Amino acid sequence: MRISRSFAGVAAALLVVLAIAPAADAPASAQGKTITLSMLAGYKEDVLRANLPEFEKKTGIKIVVDAAPFGDLYKKQLLSLSTGGRYDVLFMDEPWIPPLSEFLLPLNERMKTLDTADFIPTTVASGAFQGTQYAVPVDPNVQLLVYRKDLFEQKGLKPPATWDELLADARALHDPAKQQYGIAVTASSDIQTALYMLLAMWSYGAELVDGGKGSLNSAAGKKGGEVFLELLKYTPPNVKSYNFADVNKAVQLGQAAIAIQWASGAKPMEDKTRSSVAGKLGYTQVPKAVRQTPMRGVWTVGIAKNSANQDAAWQFATWLSGREFGQAAVTFPSATSAIHSPRFSVLKDPVTKAALPYADALLASLQITKERPRLREYADIQENLRVTAGKLTAGELTLEAALKEIDAGTNRILGK
Amino acid sequence: MAAGRAGRWFLLPGLVFLFAIDLIPLAYSGWVSFYNWWLVRPRDVRFVGLANYARFADDPEFTRAVVVTTLFTVGAVLVEFLAGLGLALLFAQPIKFLRPIRVLLLLPLFVVPVVGATMWRVIFHPELGVLNYYLGAVGLGPLPWLSDPRLALVSITLVDAWRTIPFMFLVMYAGLEVLPAELFEAAAVDGASRWQSFRHITVPLLTYIMLLAILIRGMDAFREFDIIFVLTGGGPGTATQTIQILNYRAFGLGHMGEANAIGIVTLIIVAVMCFVLMRAILRPQGARS
Repeated sequence: MRISRSFAGVAAALLVVLAIAPAADAPASAQGKTITLSMLAGYKEDVLRANLPEFEKKTGIKIVVDAAPFGDLYKKQLLSLSTGGRYDVLFMDEPWIPPLSEFLLPLNERMKTLDTADFIPTTVASGAFQGTQYAVPVDPNVQLLVYRKDLFEQKGLKPPATWDELLADARALHDPAKQQYGIAVTASSDIQTALYMLLAMWSYGAELVDGGKGSLNSAAGKKGGEVFLELLKYTPPNVKSYNFADVNKAVQLGQAAIAIQWASGAKPMEDKTRSSVAGKLGYTQVPKAVRQTPMRGVWTVGIAKNSANQDAAWQFATWLSGREFGQAAVTFPSATSAIHSPRFSVLKDPVTKAALPYADALLASLQITKERPRLREYADIQENLRVTAGKLTAGELTLEAALKEIDAGTNRILGK
Repeated sequence: MAAGRAGRWFLLPGLVFLFAIDLIPLAYSGWVSFYNWWLVRPRDVRFVGLANYARFADDPEFTRAVVVTTLFTVGAVLVEFLAGLGLALLFAQPIKFLRPIRVLLLLPLFVVPVVGATMWRVIFHPELGVLNYYLGAVGLGPLPWLSDPRLALVSITLVDAWRTIPFMFLVMYAGLEVLPAELFEAAAVDGASRWQSFRHITVPLLTYIMLLAILIRGMDAFREFDIIFVLTGGGPGTATQTIQILNYRAFGLGHMGEANAIGIVTLIIVAVMCFVLMRAILRPQGARS
């Protein structure tokens, strides 16, 4: 009886100590803080929310998530940051770093505490602007070429390495009578259309901005544009209303033999409950012409310069870009998209390779990936590109007129 | 007299509300429209006078947006007016089984525009949409509802009509219900046909109501955003790119001066439209006939 009373007393004291003791993994200045995160809504948010309790338990830092869909996220972040808003941490697509850099906390000193050798170098570069690091990579994305291994084998075809081979393969596999189409890409006013077109133009050597001026209107730009338009002959009939999800759907329904898609879309294609072609897909790098230019699109996390909780925010950012979260994210079931990891150790891990059949293609592409122009004006330039690419595919403009209009718009935005 | 003066103080809450909610933000918006203010460069805010307005004059994209907005407004209001009037005339007939259906007609009014538009996006889906399924079954489809530049404008007009025909119906129906029955009885005794009764009694007596409904819907349609944004985002190309889509883009990219200038131009166009229709409504009955 005495023993059990003593035990109860010790246990109660222990509980009190545990309750008031700071969490072991957080620095004193971060403990007990609540930080607000601006997050992309949807699947990536789901992965985060599923893992947040573990972070909160471990550090004692509470995260309030404010999620917005992709189309609204940049607008919301820009408005909030420029008006002294409430976000401590921001989940940002890498082209947003230059325009938002004015409001973000430089992280160069803090980065020294990270194991940067484990990060794929291009992913770290995605968070930098003019020599200053403003964000840490969390979810690296890059365009991949996805193809139906079974159909390629039946026709005795090799995965295309060049745009000419891609055109030939798409032509060979295009059979509308059987609802089998050569390739799925978008040809709508969606931003993906502009990015597909830019990918082809880049491959032929064109640049969106060169020497501070718009320079797509060149022989290389024209050739890339012609190849992109040629590809549209071998697409499903409704690509003029397609978006990112529709490209995935065309692959998952078994309609498209080939697709160029962001790596984040590949995981649902391998989900047997959602994809009729799971296990039948092969992944490789996007085709090349004079160079290979898989487009980079890394999701990063940065800290607001005016945040009162910078230490807690940094603690969260390091966790989000860490091995532990990366490993949890790659194995999380996915419906529409995926979060990968910017770390070699995660992407090379056998568990990751088993979960992501495209892990090798992703890693190889990330190492040679090409970034979009790092300019404060880039959001405007990309919007101009989107609108004009939409006019081109809608038949409002010829390719020549579209190239001139893109450059004119870029120069107007850059004040040239 | 003193009591009369004291009564004016009762206007104060209303005036304060009007200034705080309406006029001060409007004046601020007008003031911002004279500046080059880009949120990305908060330290570089410059007064540019009318430059934000002047650029609209030689911007073909803006001119096209005005044309698209006008086409959409005229098309939508016309369809909604004719359908609303037709339904009101039908439901004004003494047919018993029509009465319970009136409530069903009003349902689209209760649907949140974004939800309604998302629903229609699924209905219009080229491969999975129910509309193309049935059109295909009778040999009329599939049609590229949202991806064909000409059809896309028609599609968004139809969705807008679906949502707001009930409003037109409600206004017209209320108007019809209060028309004096004795006029129609007298006309019938005099041997007037149904068409003559409609043309010479219903239309003149309902004109106020019709103009008012057109005015309200015209102002709304000109500023329509949700449905267009969800269904087409302004595409394909610039086929459905209205002034409001341009405004949203300018705000989204942080160009506050330009975005506010677009807002002020919209306000001016709507105010002119309102002025013309209000003059027609407020004209003395004799002058109109």
